[in-house]
Amino acid sequence: MNRRIIHLVFYILPLPVILASLFIGPSHTATLGSIMDLFLKNSDDSDLIKSIIFDVRLPRILLSFLVGGSLAISGCSIQAIFRNPLTDSYILGLSSGAAFGAALALAYAFLPVQLSAFIFGLMAVALSYFTARKNKNVSIVSLILSGIIVSGIFTALLTIVQFFSDPFKLQSIVHWTMGNLHNANWVKLRSSVIPITIGVFVIFVYRWRLNVLALGDDEAKTVGINPERDKIIILIAATLASSSAVAVAGIIGLYGLMVPHMIRMVTGPDNQKSIPLNFLFGGTFLLIIDDFSRTISSFEIPIGVFTMLLGAPFFIYLMKKTNIGWNS
Amino acid sequence: MLLSFSSAFTSCRQSVPNSTKSSSSVNVTDFRGVEITLPNPAKRIVCLIESALSGIYMLQAENQIIGISSGVYNESTFAQYAVLDERIKNKTLPAPGNWDFVNIESIVALRPDLVIIWASQTESIESIEKHGIPVYGVFLKSVNDVYKEIHDFGILTGRSQRADSLTNYTRNEINQLRSTINIEEIEKKNIYFMWTQGLLETAGTTSTVNELIELAGAKNSCTTSQEHVVINKERLLDWNPDIIVMWYNPLKSPEDIAKLSEIQHINAIKFNQVYELPSVFLCDLWTLKFPYAVKQLAKWCYPASTEGLNMNTEKQKMLVKLYGEKGEKLTK
Repeated sequence: MNRRIIHLVFYILPLPVILASLFIGPSHTATLGSIMDLFLKNSDDSDLIKSIIFDVRLPRILLSFLVGGSLAISGCSIQAIFRNPLTDSYILGLSSGAAFGAALALAYAFLPVQLSAFIFGLMAVALSYFTARKNKNVSIVSLILSGIIVSGIFTALLTIVQFFSDPFKLQSIVHWTMGNLHNANWVKLRSSVIPITIGVFVIFVYRWRLNVLALGDDEAKTVGINPERDKIIILIAATLASSSAVAVAGIIGLYGLMVPHMIRMVTGPDNQKSIPLNFLFGGTFLLIIDDFSRTISSFEIPIGVFTMLLGAPFFIYLMKKTNIGWNS
Repeated sequence: MLLSFSSAFTSCRQSVPNSTKSSSSVNVTDFRGVEITLPNPAKRIVCLIESALSGIYMLQAENQIIGISSGVYNESTFAQYAVLDERIKNKTLPAPGNWDFVNIESIVALRPDLVIIWASQTESIESIEKHGIPVYGVFLKSVNDVYKEIHDFGILTGRSQRADSLTNYTRNEINQLRSTINIEEIEKKNIYFMWTQGLLETAGTTSTVNELIELAGAKNSCTTSQEHVVINKERLLDWNPDIIVMWYNPLKSPEDIAKLSEIQHINAIKFNQVYELPSVFLCDLWTLKFPYAVKQLAKWCYPASTEGLNMNTEKQKMLVKLYGEKGEKLTK
């Protein structure tokens, strides 16, 4: 298919998917027919249906979209600045830091879970960064290595919290780490929308520089770019967006790694084009996955589980169908 | 050969320790289906389950306890156990493990003649049994399991008579309540049960909670056949429960739940019917104290027919009956 048409589809797709998602859900009261009736006549269930649509489904839909988009765009930008296709926003310890923060809050209730996850997620990334920094320089290998070590430390701390938790608290911690959108509401959406928007906006503004940074520091300097400064700005933006997403939705593993590759397979490696597409497709794809997650069974299955079960086959299909030179 | 090995292994599991039955020997089958034979009633018991420990105190066999779950020292029930046992109050009773982790070395060093532990802790059980220590595995799925557990503990501690007396008392309490509320005639209220983890975490039809709701003459909103389930908010709105009952929750109150904007249309919120069960110790569903929670549910569901039921009096009566003299101190 022509790439322009593909781009167009990716740009248009979010709107119909968001609208369609409003009509999808497990409720037997807010069915497609009853929602259509709502516009034509007033029924006894009008208030209930409105509540399901506007207080339950809409915040969850918008939150899913924002979370998916921010994880994908953060993953794409981090892969570009690290020049490493195997990294994502979790590589600097974000997920393990956030998981530890959430577990601590769930076990000891000293801070709201969301805030604690956000603070510890950021703290883990900062720790990775300053550990890797030497003589005012941060090499990519040191940064990834320190990220792995910091992840290990926070994972160990998480294990300690789990170890001392009673079964009830342990269950909450495990559920949180599996990723969840079932608790989505307007409060969560409001708390995450500003940091995610700031992070996404900065990455969007810097998208053309990602192409230059992906070539290497020396090449970037030859065109007048300060690679260290730009990398830090992009890293902070990506961390802000993804840590806000993790704080409200828990850990959705590998999403930030998988989606940028999907986009690259379909549209090519140009970051200037792929950055907005990552946000739009990342949001749309997670929304579709969540639509399955909230309708397929009578109980909630963690979104992190569905992301892998539905995302991985699609990823494998694209990997088989496209040829972008990974086999060489 | 494989079969004979397997049968040898099974027979070994059935009689730990391998001893001949004497007139004073006691014998029960635990929740794993494993037969446990002790030459005499146990005098040195390590009990790593908090609810089971409560049962042993009800049997007034506290002097036979030599080790408890570390959870007893950390959880909200510490204050009550401190009243029941000076050693717990002074933190001198060893805690060699809990529901998750067991320190085998500490258990062996205590030289117990019986260890009570969750049946799901299979690796720990295997390790303890390898040291020739008998293990009673617990797995509670229903009220009948609670009766079986106390009955078996009665045999194992040599206090069968007390166990039977407590079981009969509990059965009578439930029967009396059900006749008071005229269980066959009433229009059943719909209860949504909310676990501590959050609004959407509830108990399905295969849970002990479901049984308690039914004993109180009500019906469970959640029709999912799972013990513990995370549901979708839309389901909760569809079920439209008459009453929301929260398990004891140190973080949220019924007022917090009533303020949630997305559930304002359900009857429980509209008619201000959100309640929280009192302390975990008092309402422990996996002990003979469960009738207290059942009575509390019935009182919330059917206030007219349970008008004469004073929960404070019920609490005092139950604690004294179950824990004897120390029960009186618990009521203060």
